[in-house]
Amino acid sequence: MKRHVPLLLAVLLVGLSALLLSVAEGPRPASARAEVDFPRWLREPEAERLQARRTLAPVPAPAAAPEAEEEPPRPRDPFLVALPRDPQKPLVVLEANALRHSRLGELFVECLLRRPGRDPFEEARREAGIDPLKDIDRVAFAQDGMILFGFFDRAQLAALEAESRVTRRGEQGLVYEPLRATGPAMSLGTWRRELIVAGEPAFVEATLDRLEGRSAGTPALIPERLTYGEAYGVVPGAALANLFRGEQAELGRRIASAASRIELHADAMRDVAVVANVSGADERAVEDLGTALGAAIAVGRIQALAGGSSQVAELLEHARVVRGAGGGFSLELALPVEVLERWFAGCGTAQP
Amino acid sequence: MIVLAIARDLLAEARSRRWVLAFLGGATLLLAAVAFGLRFEVVDGALAATRLFGGDLKSDVRSVDVALRPLFVATSYLVFYCGLVFGVVATADFAPALLAPGRIEPLLALPVRRWQVLAGTFLGVEALVLAAALYGGAGVALLLWLKTGVANAGPLVAAASAAVAFAPIYAAMLTAALGVRSAALSGGAGLLLLVAGVVAGNRAAVAELFQPGASRSVFLGVTSLLPRLSALAKVAAAASESRPVPGGPLLALVAGTLAFALAVLALGVDRFERRDF
Repeated sequence: MKRHVPLLLAVLLVGLSALLLSVAEGPRPASARAEVDFPRWLREPEAERLQARRTLAPVPAPAAAPEAEEEPPRPRDPFLVALPRDPQKPLVVLEANALRHSRLGELFVECLLRRPGRDPFEEARREAGIDPLKDIDRVAFAQDGMILFGFFDRAQLAALEAESRVTRRGEQGLVYEPLRATGPAMSLGTWRRELIVAGEPAFVEATLDRLEGRSAGTPALIPERLTYGEAYGVVPGAALANLFRGEQAELGRRIASAASRIELHADAMRDVAVVANVSGADERAVEDLGTALGAAIAVGRIQALAGGSSQVAELLEHARVVRGAGGGFSLELALPVEVLERWFAGCGTAQP
Repeated sequence: MIVLAIARDLLAEARSRRWVLAFLGGATLLLAAVAFGLRFEVVDGALAATRLFGGDLKSDVRSVDVALRPLFVATSYLVFYCGLVFGVVATADFAPALLAPGRIEPLLALPVRRWQVLAGTFLGVEALVLAAALYGGAGVALLLWLKTGVANAGPLVAAASAAVAFAPIYAAMLTAALGVRSAALSGGAGLLLLVAGVVAGNRAAVAELFQPGASRSVFLGVTSLLPRLSALAKVAAAASESRPVPGGPLLALVAGTLAFALAVLALGVDRFERRDF
């Protein structure tokens, strides 16, 4: 036993040393958790959700009926039917109700309600009869307008009717055009008591026409299989180029020429996890763009760490570029809930 | 007392060695070259310009010690790392020479325990390195004081930090020599631990370069056991900049580094006890 004393002592001293050195280091800077669940495909709850949303009657089968073996047309999700279908224009959908009950939504609403002054949602409740926190299920943002889908049975449209010229569009659609136009032409449309669309008159009418089955069957920009996450959408490269101005315009054009389509998906129930699937006609150019982006993320993270930009470093902690199997790549970004809560801490409280 | 006597003997032997004296002479020459050869006029000119134009413009004129902080910080790092490398090179053959056939046997024949031989050697070398580091650090601090008119304890703190950092390095060198009696291997072990200690001191930043998962965990696990040598250099840099250094973490850092040195020394004692001469 005496022979092993130095060895035992060495082990004890190594332990003591590690303990003391960890005390000297202090707590490690908060690092994001390793496992963040990224929205990469349609998951079971989302598949169930899309089944439940198919409330619109199917498109009638063509007169020349196909063979009996073909699958009968199925009911459709009216909101998805209403969405614009121009692939050259961006379209983003927010699952408003799900986001409201996500951790991000809770933090955001708490922050707004903590601000001194009136409840910011009270005006909408009183004047329009719509509670933004309860009645809106989904919102779509398009280039020419926006579409709200939800429960608008209590919506107060009397004041709007008094100030507008109301015309019927199809069986269940109504278009409200302001009698006194100020600024660019805008109108509002409703369909049943489920959907409200606002924007350019042509956009409003086209939306209602799609719901009424009065438009050509152009393929959907966001088909059912892409409706996963609390936010999703499609951005064409041309729209991305518009984000770059001045000296950066050429850079924007080059990125747009490589990435012709960007598909976005974001989860926010707990961690905020965003996936951007980038694709383009020139596979080589898209691959180069992905490689360059991956390197930029790595350099950015090191620069942020070196420069003490902890928020940027935290944002880039889980950022990475993943190559797609069939060409293209995915850019993944995540903010763990712990980081999110820290960022929102103190939000909305009066500054001294 | 026996340990101290061995340490004293080692210092006496070092004094009699020509190359150690030559090394100290070289360090003195280097200090002299710094004093007379380097273009401190640049510093003088910068200070004069600050005084002149800053005064005329009535803008915030930085005090001289603030203006010279980068110089003091660089000097502290230089003293720290040069001191460590000097220590490794200068003492690489101490342990192999001690263990040489014909020399170790008479030593072990004396009424001295083996751990006392190792501890005495370790302490003697530590004292030698501390003295050399303080000599160099004090010399640099004095030169800077004479040239700039600003007294800065940074180089002295760097010298003391280097002496603390050298403890685990020399413990590793001693233990390596007990495995294979080679000055090159002993010095290599010292330099390896020096590099590992620099990495360990920056482990949080380096860990960010690993993908989250097993590789990062392994890296953090391994480096958690190593002394944070670069953290000691940062203490000296902070002292040079007149930044406060929290006492608790500093004490834990020094104690942890010394505990690691003792752990490695205990391993060396274990090897020494098991070895036949």
